[in-house]
Amino acid sequence: MMGVAGASLALLQRDLRAVARSRSQLYSSVLFPLMLMALLGVGVSSGLEPTSPRILDGDYTSFLAPGMIAMTALFSSTFSSAGFYRDRESGLLRALLASPHSARTILFGKALSAILIGSLQALAILVLAVVIPGIDLAWQFGWLGGVATVVATVLALSFMLSGLSLLLALRVKTMQGFHLIFNLVLFPLFFLSGAFFPLDQVPGWLEVIGYVNPLTYAVDLLHYASYADSPDGLIGPLIDGLVLGGLALVVFALGLSRAPKAV
Amino acid sequence: MTLLGPNGAGKSTILKMLSGEIEPQEGAVAIFGAPQGPEARRRIGLVLQEPSTDDLMTLQETLELHGRLFGLPRRELGRRCDEILDDLGIGERGEDRCETLSGGLRRRLDIARALLHCPDLLLLDEPTLALDPDSSTAIWRTLHERAADGVAIVVCSNDTVEAEANADRVVIISEGRILAEDSPRNLTAGLKRDALELDWSSPTDDELSNLSAWPGVGDVHRFHDSLHLTVDHSAEIVPQLFQQYGSRITGIRIRESSLRDAWFQIVGRPLNGESVVPASQP
Repeated sequence: MMGVAGASLALLQRDLRAVARSRSQLYSSVLFPLMLMALLGVGVSSGLEPTSPRILDGDYTSFLAPGMIAMTALFSSTFSSAGFYRDRESGLLRALLASPHSARTILFGKALSAILIGSLQALAILVLAVVIPGIDLAWQFGWLGGVATVVATVLALSFMLSGLSLLLALRVKTMQGFHLIFNLVLFPLFFLSGAFFPLDQVPGWLEVIGYVNPLTYAVDLLHYASYADSPDGLIGPLIDGLVLGGLALVVFALGLSRAPKAV
Repeated sequence: MTLLGPNGAGKSTILKMLSGEIEPQEGAVAIFGAPQGPEARRRIGLVLQEPSTDDLMTLQETLELHGRLFGLPRRELGRRCDEILDDLGIGERGEDRCETLSGGLRRRLDIARALLHCPDLLLLDEPTLALDPDSSTAIWRTLHERAADGVAIVVCSNDTVEAEANADRVVIISEGRILAEDSPRNLTAGLKRDALELDWSSPTDDELSNLSAWPGVGDVHRFHDSLHLTVDHSAEIVPQLFQQYGSRITGIRIRESSLRDAWFQIVGRPLNGESVVPASQP
């Protein structure tokens, strides 16, 4: 009798293969953040000469790098949900749900694929940020602890986004509607997460929105672990970790609990 | 068994209830005596109305994914995939991506997937709809082989010819209700030898009762501007019809009685507008 693990592994292999064959998705997920770092990072660093103490030595490219890791996880979860819609439209999802496994198991397997693929793509940006000269990641607590924190943050973020995508995809019937909601809600949240500018340098009302934004805690942890703009980050690693981890568990569990028999 | 009915009759809904995709609003579904659930689904092979394959996967990968979800042992899986693809005449395409398949070949792959885990019950929703004759023949041959092996097969269809040729039992469904259930032979047993469909402008009740009283004429049914009747010998009845009602008849179709006519007699109207075919002019 094949359990949840076996079914998830089968679905994971299938989704990994699909991503590997979808070259444009693979390349764009890596090239877009690199392009932003190159164009926006260099442009702001040299054109605007940022003086915020949180942007070390005015090097905006390095400041952007942790945010780009978070952005890649965000984009990847969108793409994974597009795969969910593709499976639904092709009828494959109905065929999968006709197997002996529950709808929850099938969706769990697909969500795990999305988490792994999203995390791998986000961590690919980390690797590139490390090897590209000109991006200066200061691992203030050592690279081992820093990398472990980044990996844990990316995984928690991917869990949360995957749960959110699941919640949305089970309710929004068309991919266009899904992208509309994603763009309307998540893009503004991402811009207000501290990925593009330090939140303690903005007007009070904007800072408040930043603090109620779940993405802020992920970006802050990434800054704390890899960039070292302050010993405690903006909020503090303990609170960041608790908020992000708690939200990841709750949102993911909520997404799975809403799994209907037919999708 | 064929569930025969027009689009919207409720055939696919019955299939969804049998496969566990939806639950009935009333009553309960039992599969081989057991309630619907994981163990029941393990014994079911399902072919959906539309092809349900991922373009980026190969045929082999499609079957392997399905086999793994059904818990087939890995060492057995490769051999089963090869066998089933060969059975359906697509063995040479195993490494091709699904996006390269025609509609007919995709349908065969759907059926291969449904058969892979050796189900005891096969549910198929219009498996040969819009397929070329070669694909239809290959699919029916495979289904007959599985039926001979003891697999219970339920097919949704609105094709009376296929149902009559292939089904042991036919369930006639209209507007969510079962109107008749029997073998094709028994369903057609009450019909006269020949069937006539007459284009007849606004047939009256008197005309209907007059025709019904003619010797050699069976039940007469009216549907909009047409009459449907079965007769013992069309060669004798048709000249009489034109002699008496020639000015009223604007078209006629004559054929040997079949399940299609049993449908008309039972339901009182043609299946999916079958009578709206070009009529031969008198």
